[in-house]
Amino acid sequence: MTETAPDTAANSPDPSAGLDAVDILVGVPSFNNAKTIGHVVRAVEAGLTKYFPDRRSVLVNSDGGSTDGTADVVREASVDLDAVLLDHRVGGFRKLVTPYHGIPGKGSAFRTVFEIARQLGAKACAVVDADLRSITPEWIELLIKPVLEEGYDYVAPYYMRHKYDGTITNTIVYPLTRALYGKRIRQPIGGDFGFSGKLASFFLGKDVWESDVARFGIDIWMTTSAIANGFKICQAFLGAKIHDAKDPGADLSAMLHQVVGSVFGLMEEYAPTWRSVEGSEPVATFGFVYSVGLEPIHVNLEKMIEMFRMGVRDLDAFYNSFLPGDTLGFLRALAAQRDVKTFAYPDREWVRTVMSFALACHRKAVRREHIIKSLTPLYLGKVASFVIENWDCTADEVERRLEELCLAFEKGKGYLVERWDGEV
Amino acid sequence: MKNFIDKVIVEPLREVVRNLVAFLPYLLTGIVVFAIGLGLAWLIKALVVKIFKLLKLDAACAHSGLADALKKMAVRDTPAKLIGRTFYWLVTFIFFILALKVMKVPVIDQLLEKFLLYLPNVFVALIILIIGWLLGNFLGRAALIASVNAGVRLSSQLSKGVKGLIMLFAFVMAFEQLGIGRSTVIAAFTIALGGIVLALALAFGLGGKDLARGFLEKRFKKNGDGEPDELKHL
Repeated sequence: MTETAPDTAANSPDPSAGLDAVDILVGVPSFNNAKTIGHVVRAVEAGLTKYFPDRRSVLVNSDGGSTDGTADVVREASVDLDAVLLDHRVGGFRKLVTPYHGIPGKGSAFRTVFEIARQLGAKACAVVDADLRSITPEWIELLIKPVLEEGYDYVAPYYMRHKYDGTITNTIVYPLTRALYGKRIRQPIGGDFGFSGKLASFFLGKDVWESDVARFGIDIWMTTSAIANGFKICQAFLGAKIHDAKDPGADLSAMLHQVVGSVFGLMEEYAPTWRSVEGSEPVATFGFVYSVGLEPIHVNLEKMIEMFRMGVRDLDAFYNSFLPGDTLGFLRALAAQRDVKTFAYPDREWVRTVMSFALACHRKAVRREHIIKSLTPLYLGKVASFVIENWDCTADEVERRLEELCLAFEKGKGYLVERWDGEV
Repeated sequence: MKNFIDKVIVEPLREVVRNLVAFLPYLLTGIVVFAIGLGLAWLIKALVVKIFKLLKLDAACAHSGLADALKKMAVRDTPAKLIGRTFYWLVTFIFFILALKVMKVPVIDQLLEKFLLYLPNVFVALIILIIGWLLGNFLGRAALIASVNAGVRLSSQLSKGVKGLIMLFAFVMAFEQLGIGRSTVIAAFTIALGGIVLALALAFGLGGKDLARGFLEKRFKKNGDGEPDELKHL
């Protein structure tokens, strides 16, 4: 049984008007997700009813002005609990559909969720993407329970993915975030998170809602802010993440600019914190971890290596303005190599490349966007090298290989620390 | 005969000497003013260099890569010295104008007046060129990075073309501001631009028709030869 709160909040400055305090809040940011959001809402409702029947809970759909009837789908979506659960009690589940205000983007949608969480005094919150096809009621348990029952402030997601999926996360974001802040959060930009009401209030108090965080980069911002400010962190294994392709035509360099730019931007803010961190430590992981099968996928290695070569050749003068001589020498030598099978971008050189890009952004040698976008051909070179190296490996072997890359980042961090303030 | 010599040679010579004698104090004042200006310019240069060195400008420029950019433009001075030198020439120029002014020579006064009235045009033209150069560099680099990331084979040429076109615009605007060959420059620019567009159209139309067909097929044919990567970056 579901009660749907009247959508009086749609144009109200107080979106939670008319609702009582709640224990759990689940936010679903959306923009034209009518096709998939119904399944997400039903999974959330089933999860809350099954695992938290005694708690008062609310689902908040923070919408960015959808024109495909997303809001109607949310209002009408309901789950037949008798068919889904063998035994259930009627919980205090509510739904709230509200538009968000401010700069268009996921960050602004999250801000509305945080505001409502504070107004309703939510103890535990979660946010899940509206385009998920693989979400199950268990996701809600895994994201909420560590907060509600174990006292954690932040629950990062941990998905099992194909060995070649998430290459930006695997080759840059995860190893760099881990080396900087010392916590082994495997998916720092996962998209689905759990967090405490206290942390929601903390996020809300930060002066970032008119910046790029409101547009993109909210995921890495939340993860980094939670770690760097000493909140209690864990991760939850959610299984496979299957969702609608964000934008099939999305430009890789724009993606890199958004994600890597956010990581580099946070490095400025939290420099005093990460400079003193050495090594890394695992974080508690909830859920039953398992591997997925490895269906062969098509990867155009020749094209990636050709893009790498072209980038090194045409951007040589630009790289020369901020990359150290030995790194540039290595890149030239690798680009000159003709044999695809022996093409290898070693971890040490990759670490040095990424750190040199971070330093160039820090020193503002040239426009930051140009620096980060010029990383694209080198990143493709590293991905090609990674694919060649792990062609016959299993998912577990690839994980071990990524562990080596992470250790290389941890080892190479000294290079970054030494040069951050100096002129070396 | 004596009268004739007096009238033709002596009197004019006397007049010249009289004028020279009358002009001498002004000339001396002008020289003194200019000498003071040179001294002051040297002092200001030394002071400015010292201040900017104290402010660690050279280190900051080395840090930001500006020093390297200057070296690439064959500027051998450090940024602090460069600013000091600029101040030196600015003060020298101001005192040179003052020195000419105190000499009170009508022709120089008229030339000076015309020059001073023209000076804002030179200044604006210089600013146009500087902005053009900066914009050309910026957009040239943006075009280079975007085209490399898009896999365009002639990225380098494309970037140089963008930069060259912007510099061409800047030069045309600067010449127009200076009033040099106004109609000729605009006509030449229009003809050149039209020529470039026509040449490109012909080159693409005739030379690259197969390439264009291939490109369009790849772009719009859903199941083309090249399978897209199934690798997910995020």
